[in-house]
Amino acid sequence: MRAGSQERLQGVAGGGPQARPVRGGSRRRGALALLLLAAAALSGCGGQQSILRSDSHQTHVISVLWWWMLAAAGVVFAGAVVLLVLAYVRRGRAGLPFVGERESLAGAMVIVFGIAVPLIVLLVLFGASDIYAVRFSEAPPAGSTSMSVEVKGHQWWWEIHYPGTAAVSANEIHIPTGTRVRLYATTADVIHSLWVPSLARKIDMIPGRTNAILLEAPSPGSYLGQCSEFCGLQHSYMRFTVIAEPRASFEAWLADMERPAAAPASGEQREGQQLFMSKGCGGCHRLAGTSAEGTVGPDLTHLATRSTLAALTIPDTPSELAAWIENPQAIKPGNHMPDLGLSGAQAKKVAAFLGEMR
Amino acid sequence: MASTLSPPARAHVELLERVWEERKGVFGWVTTVDHKRIGLMYLFASMAFFAAGGVEALLIRTQLIGPQQHLLSPETYDEIFTMHGITMIFLVVIPMTTGAFGNYLVPLMIGARDMAFPRMNAVSFWIFLGSGVFLYVALATGQAPNAGWFDYVPLASKQFDPGTNIDFYGYGLIFNGIASTATAINIIVTIFKLRAPGMSLNRMPLFCYAFLAAAFSLVFALPALTLATIFLELDRQLGFHFYDAGFGGDPLLWQNLFWIFGHPEVYIIILPAFGIATSIIPTFVHRRMVMFPMVALAELLVAFLGFGVWAHHMFAVGLPTLVTVYFAATSLIIVIPSAIQLFAWITTILTGKPEFTTPLLWIIGFIVFFIIGGLSGVTVAAIPFDQQVNASYYIVAHFHFVIFGGAVFPILGGLYYWFPKVTGRMYHEGVGKLSFWLSFIGTLVTFFPMHIAGIEGMPRRIYTYTAASGWTTLNALESAGAYLLAAGLLLVIVNLAVSLFKGAPAGADPWGGDTLEWATSSPPPAYNYAVIPTVSSAYPMWDEEDRERDRRRLERGQGLLARGHETPGTTVQDALLDEVLAMPPSSPLPALVGAVVFAGFIALVLAHFLIAAGIGGLAAALLVAWHVPPRGEKPAAEGGAR
Amino acid sequence: MSGAHPDAAGGRELSLAPQRPSLAPTPAAAGRVASRRRALPSGMWGMALFLGAESMLFAGLISSYFYLDFRATRWPPAGARLPETLIPSILTAVLVTTSVPVALAARRAIAGRRAATMALLGLAAFVQSGYLAYQLHDLVDQVHSLPPQGSAYASAYIALLGLHHAHVLLGVLLDLGMLFWLALSGLSDYRVTGVRCVALYWHVVNVIAVAVLLTELTPVL
Ligand code: HEA
Ligand code: HEA
Ligand code: HEC
Ligand code: CUA
Ligand SMILES: [Cu+2]
Repeated sequence: MRAGSQERLQGVAGGGPQARPVRGGSRRRGALALLLLAAAALSGCGGQQSILRSDSHQTHVISVLWWWMLAAAGVVFAGAVVLLVLAYVRRGRAGLPFVGERESLAGAMVIVFGIAVPLIVLLVLFGASDIYAVRFSEAPPAGSTSMSVEVKGHQWWWEIHYPGTAAVSANEIHIPTGTRVRLYATTADVIHSLWVPSLARKIDMIPGRTNAILLEAPSPGSYLGQCSEFCGLQHSYMRFTVIAEPRASFEAWLADMERPAAAPASGEQREGQQLFMSKGCGGCHRLAGTSAEGTVGPDLTHLATRSTLAALTIPDTPSELAAWIENPQAIKPGNHMPDLGLSGAQAKKVAAFLGEMR
Repeated sequence: MASTLSPPARAHVELLERVWEERKGVFGWVTTVDHKRIGLMYLFASMAFFAAGGVEALLIRTQLIGPQQHLLSPETYDEIFTMHGITMIFLVVIPMTTGAFGNYLVPLMIGARDMAFPRMNAVSFWIFLGSGVFLYVALATGQAPNAGWFDYVPLASKQFDPGTNIDFYGYGLIFNGIASTATAINIIVTIFKLRAPGMSLNRMPLFCYAFLAAAFSLVFALPALTLATIFLELDRQLGFHFYDAGFGGDPLLWQNLFWIFGHPEVYIIILPAFGIATSIIPTFVHRRMVMFPMVALAELLVAFLGFGVWAHHMFAVGLPTLVTVYFAATSLIIVIPSAIQLFAWITTILTGKPEFTTPLLWIIGFIVFFIIGGLSGVTVAAIPFDQQVNASYYIVAHFHFVIFGGAVFPILGGLYYWFPKVTGRMYHEGVGKLSFWLSFIGTLVTFFPMHIAGIEGMPRRIYTYTAASGWTTLNALESAGAYLLAAGLLLVIVNLAVSLFKGAPAGADPWGGDTLEWATSSPPPAYNYAVIPTVSSAYPMWDEEDRERDRRRLERGQGLLARGHETPGTTVQDALLDEVLAMPPSSPLPALVGAVVFAGFIALVLAHFLIAAGIGGLAAALLVAWHVPPRGEKPAAEGGAR
Repeated sequence: MSGAHPDAAGGRELSLAPQRPSLAPTPAAAGRVASRRRALPSGMWGMALFLGAESMLFAGLISSYFYLDFRATRWPPAGARLPETLIPSILTAVLVTTSVPVALAARRAIAGRRAATMALLGLAAFVQSGYLAYQLHDLVDQVHSLPPQGSAYASAYIALLGLHHAHVLLGVLLDLGMLFWLALSGLSDYRVTGVRCVALYWHVVNVIAVAVLLTELTPVL
């Protein structure tokens, strides 16, 4: 296996978060005393798909925004609760504490807390988020990116192309580190939403439209993503990884992807190939350079370089692959790959064949 | 009450009793046009749907209690969460607020004897019931809507959802919308035309302002949903292309239309709750509302501004930044009227002498949860943050705090508060408080961790997740909270059900309430008020003199209006007496119309369009028969009416 | 309004004298006060609100039309036949003129003139059903020459027409129902309000007819 694929697999099989540089002092700043509980719970986790991991500049800005909003909300909430507690404590007596029973003062309080204070808070928030921070999450300005990648959502997997190359992949978006990448999001069927919480905002994939966001990862690693707009039965298992690697290994990977499918080596693999061609797999899947040219399912030309199968439903191991081919519906109920009636032995042979697709 | 009356007063009351007598038994309920009975039927029906929606919620929570559970298949999960959303919004909160509370209380609060259009009121109920049954027929036959409560196309198109699931959604919501529109119109006209003499607009209870605002929103927001679903069915049934990008349509047209309805809808949900809160608070803090006019204005403003924020549900669809910024700004502006009301309540409680009885506790719970939910709403009006958490559990947390904590808590508080009025008996205070605390803690434990789950990247509407995601503990906690919550709610039901039979007698005005409904006996008689009350302030029950005069007028038989089902009509602004309105007697037609419309929609969903058209003709004929001249009607004199 | 006790509101007592016991739920009292009514009757409010909702429906439909228009690169799409101008304009003008007889009918009704009310309403109903018959016939042709299954433009165009025709149909049914009851029973206050509601309905549907026509003619204007 390629370097790093072990690490990638952990996204599926249950690995913990990898050590990754934490930016700024955002976590400390946010942990204001008032919301200790919530803040502690949040900053203590930082699971693979947390939006607070701040793995890119964009998500860093958003998480700083979040911590400030949380702090402000905490103050507002605490203020209101203090007033309610005060009301409870003084339940025997009428009138405002300290100032007495003046109706005009009660009215003034409503105006101050109900209009003046919120107006200020909201103006600041509007400036910070919807004028300033929004610039980091909007589609990157033309010419500000040096490469692009096209991702097309399918019920329930992701198709990935690199414009200008013949490379095709599925469910794994490779990008070079430290590079501003423009990601074009489209869909083949219904609305999906591409979301890698630690790297970028989400973007909906809508029929008839091409949306774009900025994807950028300063440090190498694999970043979990998941479909975030309900798209039918297997919305839950429409997941993917973004793999950021140094420029050189990215280029090597891309060149690999442009090569046609490997020829079968062993007898078992050859039998597998025959089964693949005769059982109709090629109607839906492509093996570059062969007669298999389907586009309904993921391109399998380099299946063996991927660390998972069926959009991160199962790990890409020989036994899991055989199990998938034998009965995909048992593994991912409702997915669009039918049960093609291969026996266990036949599936194993096909798996052996596909296992060499590097 | 009747026993303490002097002989002449009793004679007058007995006269009214005879005039307003309705049939007994089931047939009496089926043919009733009495707003109180209709209100109660709304209450029972929406409670039943609440139980159904609650069971669906518990199924969701049980499925998600741990990773990779198999209680529900993906197909079933999709139907269950969709039905949960639709049920709770369209079959629980809307009918419970406008239908049950609005129907029962608005006429009482304004001193009227019924709604402006009593038979249309009954039709609304039967149509609402029909639409609910219609949707549950879908669930029972395994064809329930399954594309989420906002039913985005193209997932909901014929191509990707070929069954009748979505047709049940489309027709069901049009069906349901007829009932809501009719109820809303009824509430508006009732409030405009039937207020007791002297209840000028500035003396109208804030409760009525809230319901007025909600009703106006309903009338003007629902057409957008109706239109969206008409387009959807045209696309699905006849091959039109409104939403089909391949033919020049646009899936975002659906989203725009849906949310043009959908956002006003969420304020339609919360406004009646605001109204309930503004009724309960003055009673239990023994003080008038602070800043009454501003609160009234804020209620109307929320409804109005609610029409201008819809695209904040679409921040992730790739709209131009400028458009999103505009909608973020309007979403922030709408916080102000909410904040005004919130601090008016808090200040009223703070400056009064609060008595922390069960109803007030629910309102305090509401305030706390509404702040949490409102503040999370503000955070998602920050575009970049929403572009992260949109369609994640953070949103689920936001709207359950504002909907469950914000709208359902006041409804439950209101159930306790008006229970003595409706039944004539007191509930059990200790059990009431226990049910509150269970529900309060349950709500917090259920929905608070959802914020964190969303921030941890958990998308909504997933039927399961993996252990590696790190969401297991949070979800287990949420599920445990949901069971606790269910226990609290069950206790509410048990408390009220037992008290119905065992509760101490309540008397007309157990709380010293400020609004008119407390002036009549508990439960109120069919004619509501023996003499039509007159009003000279916004707190009529605290005007002892006025009420004393009502009693004297009853002795004299003044203002009885007993020549039939009569109630005064007054002018819109100043509530000057303008006419005496004759209300229709009970009738089997409303239920019949409901049944015919139900049959029509069944024919539609089975795509028998000709039969549906025939049934439509039948409904038209019924409506002509409906307008048979009231008995004993005489032609207006020459020179005539104006 | 402030000052005077509301019981004596507007100088009139709420109830003139202790009421005569009466068991029949008669609305006779209605006519008594209704003739001096200052506010709009409830029925008119109800109809106005209903029409508010229907106007929103058409506002949404027309907005959807333009929304799709602005999204499209070519609108109407290449090959789609353009809408006719002359005949639809004339037809709409004819429909709009029926506002006059219905308005007059409402005034006659208020004046208590049953025969005149019926004549005017009948005249309006006659013209309106003629309009509807022609339009429905035309719609069938249009569906053939511009099938709504062909493009979003055709969908919006046909839906706009169809939904408006449905409202005209409802109006004609209202006319007929009203004539039916006017023929069978007198011109009571209840019925007068009914006639006024029908008139209001037509005024709004006619205004919408103009809006629909203008919308559909935008490609050729
Ligand atoms: C009862 C219903 C209700 C109410 C009242 C609200 C109130 C608000 N909502 Fe909410 N909302 C929903 C129900 C509701 N919402 C639902 C159902 C959804 C999701 C639908 C779906 O996707 O299924 C949703 C989704 C939703 C979104 C879309 C999120 C997404 O899908 O990505 C947004 C974004 O802007 C939003 C914003 C707001 C705002 C700004 C308010 C404001 O009105 C809140 C105002 C109140 C307060 C702010 C609290 C009290 C005030 C103070 C304590 C004063 C001080 C305050 C400050 C200084 C800030 N809501
Ligand atoms: C009014 C609105 C409302 C209410 C009250 C609730 C109440 C609850 N909701 Fe709901 N919810 C929605 C509106 C509402 N919800 C909407 C709109 C969605 C989005 C759907 C979509 O995505 O399309 C949603 C989605 C939603 C989800 C997300 C599903 C997903 O995305 O996959 C979850 C998950 O936990 C959830 C949970 C709950 C729970 C635990 C409650 C609990 O509060 C329920 C508690 C109630 C009970 C337990 C019933 C108890 C009653 C009794 C016991 C009385 C018995 C009665 C008699 C005997 C007569 N809801
Ligand atoms: C009708 C179309 C169809 C046919 C025929 C079909 N597949 Fe698939 N296949 C799919 C789809 C769609 C997916 C994606 C499923 C998902 O993730 O939801 C898929 C996924 C796969 C995957 C996992 C790919 C990945 O990158 O994760 C493998 C391996 C695979 N198919 C092998 C086969 C083999 C071997 C056959 C023949 C025996 C076959 N398929 C026949 C449609 C098809
Ligand atoms: Cu794709 Cu959800
Ligand atoms: Cu909203």
